[in-house]
Amino acid sequence: MAAKLNVSAPSDSDPSSLIDQTASSRSSNRSLRVAEKERRKNEAEDPFVLALKYFSDVKAGTPVYGNDEFENNLVLVERVAYSKGLSPEAISVMLEFAMSLRMGTTPCVRVLKCLIPTTVVPQQAVVRAVVWLGVGKIPISTQVLFIKWVLTVFDMIDAKDQLRAVYGFIFSYVTDENLCPFICHLLYLLTRKESVRVFRVRKLLELQTKLGRQPFLLHLLSLYKVFCPELVTLSIPSRMRSGFRNHNSPWKSALIAVQKRNGSQVALSTSLPFTIKDKTSSRKRKHCHLELPVLSSLVNKQAPTDLSSSRKVVPLVQLHTLTQLLENMHRIELPAQMGSLLGSSLALQYLDCVQDESALLRLNFWLGYALHEEFLFCGDGGGSQTSEEALQFLDKLLSSQHFLQEAFPSSEAFLYKFLSVWDGSLLRPQILSLLSNIPVVPSSQIGQLLFEPLMQLFFTSSLFFKCGLMECLNNMLLKWLTWHSVYALEDDLDISLNSHTSINMTLSGFKDSVMELVRFVGRLASVGLQLEGCHSLLLSFILDFYETVCDTFLKYGLPLVVMPPPGVFYPALFSPDPVSVDRLAYIMHRYKVNLTSAKSQEKVTTQAFHISRQTFREFNHYVVVIVNCLWNSKMFHPGMGVQLGEEVLLKSNVPQYWASFDLVHHPAFMSYAVDFHRRCWPERKDMDLNSIKHSKPWSWYLEYLYSQGYDGLKQLVPGP
Amino acid sequence: MERPHNSVVRTPINSVVVQRRSKNKSYRQSYRSCLGAASRLGLTPALTARRLNSSRRAPKSHNITEKVNPEHLALLMKMEWKLSYVTPLYQFKHTQLKSYSRQLSAFIAAEKQQGLAVEVEGSQSAFRVSFSVVHGMMATEDDAETVLIQINSKPLFAGQDEPQRSVWSGWLTCINGNSDYLHSLPTDFICLPLFGSSGPEVLTSLVKSWFQQMFDCCFGPLEISHTSLQWLVALWTNCHTESSIQHLKMIWTLPVVPPLQITYTVNPQDAWELWSSVRKDPQEQSKGGDAVEEGGNIDIEEVTRFMQGLKSHFYRHFRLDLSAGSLKQVSTALGSAKYNGRVKISNSRYMITTLTLLTECALLKMPV
Repeated sequence: MAAKLNVSAPSDSDPSSLIDQTASSRSSNRSLRVAEKERRKNEAEDPFVLALKYFSDVKAGTPVYGNDEFENNLVLVERVAYSKGLSPEAISVMLEFAMSLRMGTTPCVRVLKCLIPTTVVPQQAVVRAVVWLGVGKIPISTQVLFIKWVLTVFDMIDAKDQLRAVYGFIFSYVTDENLCPFICHLLYLLTRKESVRVFRVRKLLELQTKLGRQPFLLHLLSLYKVFCPELVTLSIPSRMRSGFRNHNSPWKSALIAVQKRNGSQVALSTSLPFTIKDKTSSRKRKHCHLELPVLSSLVNKQAPTDLSSSRKVVPLVQLHTLTQLLENMHRIELPAQMGSLLGSSLALQYLDCVQDESALLRLNFWLGYALHEEFLFCGDGGGSQTSEEALQFLDKLLSSQHFLQEAFPSSEAFLYKFLSVWDGSLLRPQILSLLSNIPVVPSSQIGQLLFEPLMQLFFTSSLFFKCGLMECLNNMLLKWLTWHSVYALEDDLDISLNSHTSINMTLSGFKDSVMELVRFVGRLASVGLQLEGCHSLLLSFILDFYETVCDTFLKYGLPLVVMPPPGVFYPALFSPDPVSVDRLAYIMHRYKVNLTSAKSQEKVTTQAFHISRQTFREFNHYVVVIVNCLWNSKMFHPGMGVQLGEEVLLKSNVPQYWASFDLVHHPAFMSYAVDFHRRCWPERKDMDLNSIKHSKPWSWYLEYLYSQGYDGLKQLVPGP
Repeated sequence: MERPHNSVVRTPINSVVVQRRSKNKSYRQSYRSCLGAASRLGLTPALTARRLNSSRRAPKSHNITEKVNPEHLALLMKMEWKLSYVTPLYQFKHTQLKSYSRQLSAFIAAEKQQGLAVEVEGSQSAFRVSFSVVHGMMATEDDAETVLIQINSKPLFAGQDEPQRSVWSGWLTCINGNSDYLHSLPTDFICLPLFGSSGPEVLTSLVKSWFQQMFDCCFGPLEISHTSLQWLVALWTNCHTESSIQHLKMIWTLPVVPPLQITYTVNPQDAWELWSSVRKDPQEQSKGGDAVEEGGNIDIEEVTRFMQGLKSHFYRHFRLDLSAGSLKQVSTALGSAKYNGRVKISNSRYMITTLTLLTECALLKMPV
C-alpha cells in the first residue's frame, strides 16, 4: 500500500499531492516500524542469536559432558563461523565465554579455534580476554593459542589504544617459558616510544642471559633500541633476518576462506603482520599429501666405501636439457624422493628409459599413497575443499601418463578401489581419463574390477555421464589396440609370452579381454539408448566406439570381429538424424571390408584366424536389413529382424508400410526427398514422393543424397 | 584365511637389469599393469584381496621380557602411542643407526632454526636423537627388527646442569608381517609398516618429514577400525585366565542427534564366561585346522558371536541396539585402543599379539 502511495507522490506542488505525500510518509514510517519489529522478531527466533544468548547467559559450573544444549549451540556457532565468520558482537560473547572458563577448560580451545571474524574484532573483547589470562586457571597451551589468535587477527582489531594501555600487564608474561616467544611478538606490534622503560630493558636482557640470544628477544630489543638507543647498549647483529616465526596459526585458512566468501570487504594482509613468509604453511594443512615433493638430490648417501669405488654421479636436479640428460645418462643419480619426478618431463624421460625397479616402486608408493589418502581414506570429507588442488594434481598425473603413454600401476590399483565409491561426478573428466589409461585387464577379473562398478554408475547417472563413459571406454579400447599393434605385430599369432617378460598375457587372453570390453559396451549401449530415449548425443558416442570396433583387424591387426547388438543397430538405423544413419552405414561397410580381408587371408595362410559362422551370419543379417530397409523398401519382410503381424500393420493404416523407412520416407531423409522433389519437378503442385522411386529419378536421388556428404551410404551401396 | 593368491611366477628380485625395448619380445615389459605386474610389485593389490585375517592364533603369552631390553620394554609400555602406517623404507640400514641419529638431530636443529633471526651461537643442538634397535621384538625371520627413536632435550628455561629429558619417542615395527608381501619387495626396501609416536606433534611431523626425505616413504594416519577393535576385545578377553583383564571397557557411539556415547563396562569374569561359551568346540576345530595348540585359532565368527552376546545383553537392559553404532574404544588391564589410532599396551606378554594385528592393519593401507 505504502509503495503505491509513494509512487503517486511526485514532486508536484499542488496541495492535494502534498497531503498525499504526508500520508505516504506516515504510512511508510509505519511500515518501517513494522519491518523493524518483524526483523527483531526474526532475530529473536534466529537460532544463531539464541545460541549466542545461551553462551552469554550460561551459568558458571554448568557441566559440559552430556549437555546437548551446549553441544548444539556450539555446533551452530562453529558452522556460522566457518561459513560466514562471526560478527564483532559474536566474537565478544564467545571470547568472554571461553576465557572466563565458565564451563571449564574443555570448550575453551574449541571456541578459540572458531573465532573467525567477519569484519573486525572489538578491542574491548581482547582486553577483557587478556585480563582473564591473569585471573583464570587457563591451561598453558590454551594461553598460547589465545595469544596466537590475537597475533592472527591483530590487523582486524578495531583500535589498539586500550591494548597499549595494558602494555605493562602484557609485558609481565614474558617470564613465562612457553608464552615468551608469542608475547614478544605481540609486544613488538604494540610498542611505542613511551612503552620503552629501563626496567623492561633490564628484564629482557636478564632473560637473554638465561635463554641465550633468542631471536624473539633480540627483535624486541632491537625495536627498543630504535626508540631509545641510550637504554639499550646491546649490539644487535646486523645480519639479523627480519621477522618472527610465523606461528602456523590454525585460523589462517579459515579466515581466508571466509573473506573470499564475503567478497573481502576488509582489506587485510592475510599473513601475520611482520612475519616471514611461511614456507611450511602448506605442509601443515590437513591435506598435504597432494603436494609434490621438491626435486632434491640424495641425502641418504651410500656408505663411503661404495662411493670411492663408484664413479662420479650427477644429480637429476642439475640437469635442465635433454642434451645434458643424454650426456650424463650413465651417471645420473635419482632424487631423494621419487614423487618429485612427476613434475619434470626430463626426469620422466629418464625414468622411462632406465626401467629401474626400485625407482618405479618408490614413485608408485608415493603416488598410490597420495591418491589413497586424498580420495579413499579422507575421513573428514575434505574432498570439496581441496578440489582445486586435487584437480591440479590429477591433471599433472594425467599429463605425466600421457607423456609416458602408459598408466602407473598405483593409479590403476587406486582406480579399481575408487570406482566402487565414486559418485560419478567428482572430478569426472580427470577420473574418466585416468580410467581410459588403464592397461589391459585380464578377462577373468575385468567383470569384478571394471564392469560391475561402471554398470552401477552408468545406469544411475545423467546422460552426460553416459556419454563421458562411452568416450572413456572408446579411448581405453583404442589404447589397448594401439598397444597390441605396436608390441605384438611382429610375433607369431598365438604364442605365450617369454618367461622374462613380466606381463602374463597371451594373444588369446588379450583377445578375450577386448571381446569382454566390446560386449560390455554393447550391453551398456543397448540399455542406455533405451533409458535415454535413443538420445542422438549418446548414439553418436556409441557409434564412435563401434567405428573403433569395426576396424580392429585392418587398423590394429587384431584378429577379432564383434558385431554390434541389435539394441545399437536398430536405434541407429531408425534414428531421425541422417548423420547417425550414415555412420551406421559406414560402420557396416568397414565390417564388410574387414571380414572380406580376413576371409581372403584365411585362404592364403594357414595361420589366419577363424571367424565364427555366427559372426558372418550376424553381419549378413544386418546388411540385408539395412539394404532392404533403406534402398529396397522391403521393411517388415518376413525373415528380417523387425517383424510385425500382418493384421497389426494393416490396422495401423499406414499406406505402403513396407516403404516407410526407405531413403525417401525415412524420417531422417524425408527433407532431402522433399527438396529433391521440388528441384526435380518445380512446376508440380502436389507432391508425390513415391514418384522418386521410379528407376530414373531414384538413381538421380541417390546421386543427390550421396553428393550431400553421406559417404557411409555411398560406400555401403555404391551409386548406380 | 585369505591370502592374496600369488601364483604368478615372481621376477627374481635382483633382476633390476636395464631392459631395452626390443621388438622381438611380444608384450614387452614396459607395459606395466598392476595386475600383470603382480610379479613386479608383489601383490595383486588392485583386487583388494588383502583383508584382515579372518582367523588368527590365540594369543600366546610371549615372554619377551627375556629377549627385549627391559628399558625399551618399559618405555613401550609406558606411553600411549599414536599410530601411523609407513610405506616401505628405501635404503634403510639397521647398521647405520648411529649416523641416522646424528642426521636427524641436525635436521631437527635446522628446521627449528628456520625462520629464526640468528643462529644460536655455539650452542650444541638442543635436541639429541638416538636410534636403537629393539632386539627380540619380532615374530618371524621375515620381520625387520624394530627401531626405537628417542629425542631428548633440555627445557628452555633449564639451568646449566639440569639433565636432558625425553621429549619425544617413537618406533617402527613389523610383527608377523604378511610374508608374501615382504618377499615381494626388492631387497633395497625395508618394510616397517607400523609407526607409533608419542610427544609433541611438531616433533612427530619433523621426524616424519626427515624419514620421507631420507627413505622416500610416506606416512599416513592409521585408524583402528571397528573390526580390529572387536578383535582386540576378543583377543584380550581370551587372555583372562592367564592374566586378569580386570575390566572390559568399551565405548560405543550411536549415530543419533545429538551423538550418543555409551560406555559399557563388563565384569572380567562375566566377559570370560561369555567368551568361553561362544568358543568353538576344540575337536570340531581340529578337524578343519591344522595343529591345534593351546587354544588353537580364533575365528572371526567367534568374535562376532562374542560381540553379539555383549550387544544383546546390553539390549536386554537398556533397549538400545549397539549394532547400529560403532565401537570407538576398548580398554582392559592389558591395554587400550582407540578408533583414532591411539593405543597403549600395558602388558608385555601380549604385546606381540596386539602388534601383529596392528601390523596387519598397517599393511592393508599400503597403496601398492
